[in-house]
Amino acid sequence: MNKKVALIFGHNKYALEIAQNVAQKYKFVKLFSLDEAKVQDTKYEFEYFDLSDDWSSIEEKIGLENSIAFCALDDDAQNIFLTISLRAHFQSLHIIAIASNKENANKLSMAGANKVIPIVETTADIIANMLELPISNKVLQSILFEENDLKIAQIKIDEKTKIKDEEIANIDWSRYRGIIVLSLMHKDMKSEFIYSSKVKKHILRSGDILVVVGYEKDIENFRAIIGSEV
Amino acid sequence: MLRRLIVDTAYFLQTSKRYQARKKFFYKLLEDDRYKYKKFVDILMVMLIFTSVFILIREVKHPIHDYMFYFNSYVISFIFFIEYMLRLWVSSSISEIVVKQAEHDSFLGRKLHLLKAFKTLFHLKMKYILSVRAIIDLLAILPFFHELRLLRIFILFRVFKLFRYAKSFQTLAGVLATKKFEFFTLAIFASIVIFVSSVLIYVMEANDEASPINTLFDAIYWSIVTISTVGYGDVTPISSEGRFVAMIVITAGIAVLAFTTSLVVSALTEKLDEIREVKTIEDLSKLKGFYLICGYENVAKELCRKLRNSSHHIIILDEDATRVENAKQDGLTALHYNPGSVESYKKLNIDSKQIRAVLCLREDDVENVYTALTLRSIDKEIFILSLLMNDTNRKKLTFAGINQIVYPQELVGMITKEFIGKPVAFEAIHELRSEDSNVSIDEIAVTQRIVENFTSVGEFGNDDYRVVVLGIYKKSTDRFFFNPIDSTLIETGDFIVAIGYGAFIKEFELHLHTKVRDE
Repeated sequence: MNKKVALIFGHNKYALEIAQNVAQKYKFVKLFSLDEAKVQDTKYEFEYFDLSDDWSSIEEKIGLENSIAFCALDDDAQNIFLTISLRAHFQSLHIIAIASNKENANKLSMAGANKVIPIVETTADIIANMLELPISNKVLQSILFEENDLKIAQIKIDEKTKIKDEEIANIDWSRYRGIIVLSLMHKDMKSEFIYSSKVKKHILRSGDILVVVGYEKDIENFRAIIGSEV
Repeated sequence: MLRRLIVDTAYFLQTSKRYQARKKFFYKLLEDDRYKYKKFVDILMVMLIFTSVFILIREVKHPIHDYMFYFNSYVISFIFFIEYMLRLWVSSSISEIVVKQAEHDSFLGRKLHLLKAFKTLFHLKMKYILSVRAIIDLLAILPFFHELRLLRIFILFRVFKLFRYAKSFQTLAGVLATKKFEFFTLAIFASIVIFVSSVLIYVMEANDEASPINTLFDAIYWSIVTISTVGYGDVTPISSEGRFVAMIVITAGIAVLAFTTSLVVSALTEKLDEIREVKTIEDLSKLKGFYLICGYENVAKELCRKLRNSSHHIIILDEDATRVENAKQDGLTALHYNPGSVESYKKLNIDSKQIRAVLCLREDDVENVYTALTLRSIDKEIFILSLLMNDTNRKKLTFAGINQIVYPQELVGMITKEFIGKPVAFEAIHELRSEDSNVSIDEIAVTQRIVENFTSVGEFGNDDYRVVVLGIYKKSTDRFFFNPIDSTLIETGDFIVAIGYGAFIKEFELHLHTKVRDE
């Protein structure tokens, strides 16, 4: 995702949290509020926008083909309307939307969001994992949010990769000491765990992406041997 | 001298750990429904009662062996006598009353008023002796004096003892007791009708030779049989006046029956929720390691759905009747109690060790802090997890003693960051956590049996089950060893974190438990 601008729609805690977390990844982070009165009323700089179909002013200033949009309006109906409006105008825009529940998450997906985060389900998922699988939850959390040396990485298979054209089941993964391969993303963007029989028979092609877990040094070694990190 | 001896004995008993422990043991054995061994005593008593009644029935038409007679009259009576005395003993404490009186008098600087202590004691013991249950218990012992033939019928009182062990009967009696006044009014009305109609029918029919009603007893018998709408027909009025009285009694009988039925039904309807609540609380005391969820809103609802397959029970407490009703409709155990009140937890009558975790899931920080503080005031160790709705309140939640805070806004922020950074990796981890995915991550607790079968990770044979050992959590050092080398030793209490198909992980776990090391 080599986008340069993050467009965050919404004047609430979710929008601000997203802004804080993505600030380092993007050159520009633009916040938009539906409420004209609140635009100047905060330490963050918001721009006013409305739900009319006129995106020309934003498009002129920013250039939406180079952007990623985060739809985090308080009102679910307005959020869906915003998503559908953005998708209708910008086919290739990457849209991430926040939904209060699963029902609205489905509607947001139908409206064209690439990724939807249902707040209630996500929170409940995290709590359930904390309670039922405390150790693995802690491990996955530390891997995902890089709280210690253990990292998760995406390794792309390219033309020069040694294991290219090899069947996954035939690869002796134990040679690559220190890393665990979790899943594979095919060229057609379908992600599957490598434990299924189907994936075991898959022949690695250029463009496939392996998701691996390991310590930084081991991942670097693995990457050096077989491919390049995405 | 005697006074001093009594007080010294009372102090000795009151401070004797052995005596108090024994008394507590017998109290729990006889009166505490939560005590695990009480049910065995109850079962024994019920069996003795049925044996006794069986012998009584058999005795009517068949000669019985001497040993059965001996068993019924002496052994059972003796056991019941011991039970009666133990119940009398544990009903109140003599030593406690004497010590209290001695301390009270000593505080006021006056001579010990032993008579007053004995009066209190007499009052308490008599209160127990005259209770319906104690009277039934006493009557059940009377067949011991079998020489007095009349007393043998008291064996039937042993059946009444069953009510002590039948909780549903106690509940029903409790429910009907709430309509005491109505039942009393009804009884007065029925008594007046019976009395008046009996006298009238006697006056009108007793002198008629053709009438079966010759005595006042016949008249009362006829009146009761008629008003109860049973109407055997063995005694019937023959004069027109008598039949007129019969018509009035029959009409009154229908009214009495209808009134009685409506009273019972309304008492049960009014108390139905309470009965269910009592039952729920009773069941709660038997549960181990349950989740106590305070507040049933969106996150709680979704979490309960996810935890439905968990081996741990879920109990919901909420002060809002509508939310409690929603939880019940979702098939959960929910109580309409205020989670922020100490009184609620007293009513629940649970040990905090029974609770695996308390989850404060109201979408309101004020309510969650209030609930957490209430729980902390009861137990310092209990694990509390809470939702945080506004980051400015984080310190307040920490100060309230909440062990784990979940802040949805922060989660969304972190998830977004991770998603835009490594979308494929994010989806892989998300999939592992998802309940809908075939491939999952699981924790296998290392038991003594597993350690006996396998000493190191290399012996697991997890590849045969297409299971990847992501790592081993070492309890002794509280460390996670990612992708452990084959020679890593395992110990009881460790956890194996495995990834694979759910069914394969289960098979792998079974394999760890069943493989027996070759000698």
